[in-house]
Amino acid sequence: MITAVEIREKIVDHVAVLYPGHYLNQLRGENIEIRCRELLAEGIRHVVINFEETELINSVGISILLGVIEAMNDARARLVISNLNAASRELFEVLGLLAELRIEETEEDAIERLKSAV
Amino acid sequence: MKLVLRKLLHNLGSLTELGAEITSTHDFEEIVRTSLHTILGTLAIPKGAIAQYSARPREARIIAAKGISGVIDERIALGRDEVERFKSRSKPVIVKAERNGFSQFIRRNDELFRRLHTHQVVPMITRGQFVGMIFLSEKFSKADYDDEDLAIIETIARHIGIAIYNHCLLLRFKSKAEDNRRLYREMRQLYHDTVKAFGAAIDLKDSYTSGHSHRVAKYAEAIARKMGLVGAELEHVAVAAYLHDIGKIVVERAIINNPRPLTEREYRELNRHVTTGYEILSHIRQPWKEIAYMTKCHHERVDGKGYPQGLVGEDIPLGSKIVTLADSFDAMMTDRPYRTRLPLDQALADLRHQAGKQFDTEVVRAFCRLLLDEISGFARQRTLLMMIGLNFDRETVVNMLDSMIAEFNQSSAEA
Repeated sequence: MITAVEIREKIVDHVAVLYPGHYLNQLRGENIEIRCRELLAEGIRHVVINFEETELINSVGISILLGVIEAMNDARARLVISNLNAASRELFEVLGLLAELRIEETEEDAIERLKSAV
Repeated sequence: MKLVLRKLLHNLGSLTELGAEITSTHDFEEIVRTSLHTILGTLAIPKGAIAQYSARPREARIIAAKGISGVIDERIALGRDEVERFKSRSKPVIVKAERNGFSQFIRRNDELFRRLHTHQVVPMITRGQFVGMIFLSEKFSKADYDDEDLAIIETIARHIGIAIYNHCLLLRFKSKAEDNRRLYREMRQLYHDTVKAFGAAIDLKDSYTSGHSHRVAKYAEAIARKMGLVGAELEHVAVAAYLHDIGKIVVERAIINNPRPLTEREYRELNRHVTTGYEILSHIRQPWKEIAYMTKCHHERVDGKGYPQGLVGEDIPLGSKIVTLADSFDAMMTDRPYRTRLPLDQALADLRHQAGKQFDTEVVRAFCRLLLDEISGFARQRTLLMMIGLNFDRETVVNMLDSMIAEFNQSSAEA
């Protein structure tokens, strides 16, 4: 499903999975945070962001992702990131984000982790 | 890849993207918001804001914010000495640091800085001018900023400063250009008012033709518009029509108002008005340089039998040909000392008879089409009818106009 803000997403067992692609790396990527807040308002408390379609995350993408993380934290919701490539993982490490994020290799692992936390 | 290298690449990528954004054609608000994301994302800072400085009044206004709501347009007052101190340093001011030199400024804005979660204030200096400030929170990881972080912040702040500086420069240019446009509009209005005043002054000399210049201008402008003239060309025709008789200012009033047929000498004196008018108007250069010659030729005829130069056909400016027809038609449609006004159908018959002789056929055709449109209700404005009135046989006139247009179309096709 493509949402009104052009982000591919799906809901699996009350877990929302978002696929930001390269959309994250531009100003319009702010819509991802808006979509997360909408999902939170709809009662979703578990979100996976799947980066399988994201080759590179730039500084705009990092800033927007921080907005998403803060929105999730403010709502006491849980966020897991999956399918992060090596370059992005290194970048998260450089920026000191690895310790702050829950990261799983695959989307299925991420969903499983969130379901088990319910 | 070594993490140091990864960080360097990330920083370089940020600077490259920022450079592209600043030189992009995106609107200013978009550039500033993207720039804010860039500086925050470069060092994983969750909250920040950008404020633009204005010297009058001396304050900074928040124009972009991330991670903080309700702060856009908040204003931060600055003292003259504080601006000078910001200008003399490019390094960030760490809010909680002791002896940072800005304790008064920070105390005064304590409440706002709390809402902004401000850890440091980064001044933006471009070409020696203080253009604004960036407010940054702690890093997401809560790690301290190291010297390398501060260096990249300074560099990015310089880039954003350039964007703001250029934007202000552009606004100043735009404002100046708008001032000039307004002055130009006012000047043109002044010219037009002066032209109308001259037209009225000329008409006052002739007790029988009150309002003649005004009507000729209206006829001429409407015909010119029908012929497809727009902008400056259209304006020139209207102005030339207003001023076509300006040379009559030096003709004796007794000759102008003479109810009897004029003598040879009186004709010569009266006909001088076109060259006199040219001499008066040739002093006008911009913006109506062409009108002097246009008025000089308004008694030329396309068959070469006019005056003062006896020009033929295409040698006569189009504007003059239009004024010629407008002038003659108004003369036919107004009472003269030696005759009453002509009925409209008779005036049209005269135009038809003189097409290709006194008048340019294309101009007569445009006039006929315009009049027909007005009578039939197809025209948006009824410029001609407002002056002619409705005292004519509609069917006769419409038939005449149809027939004249068909005749002119045919002769035009044959040519």
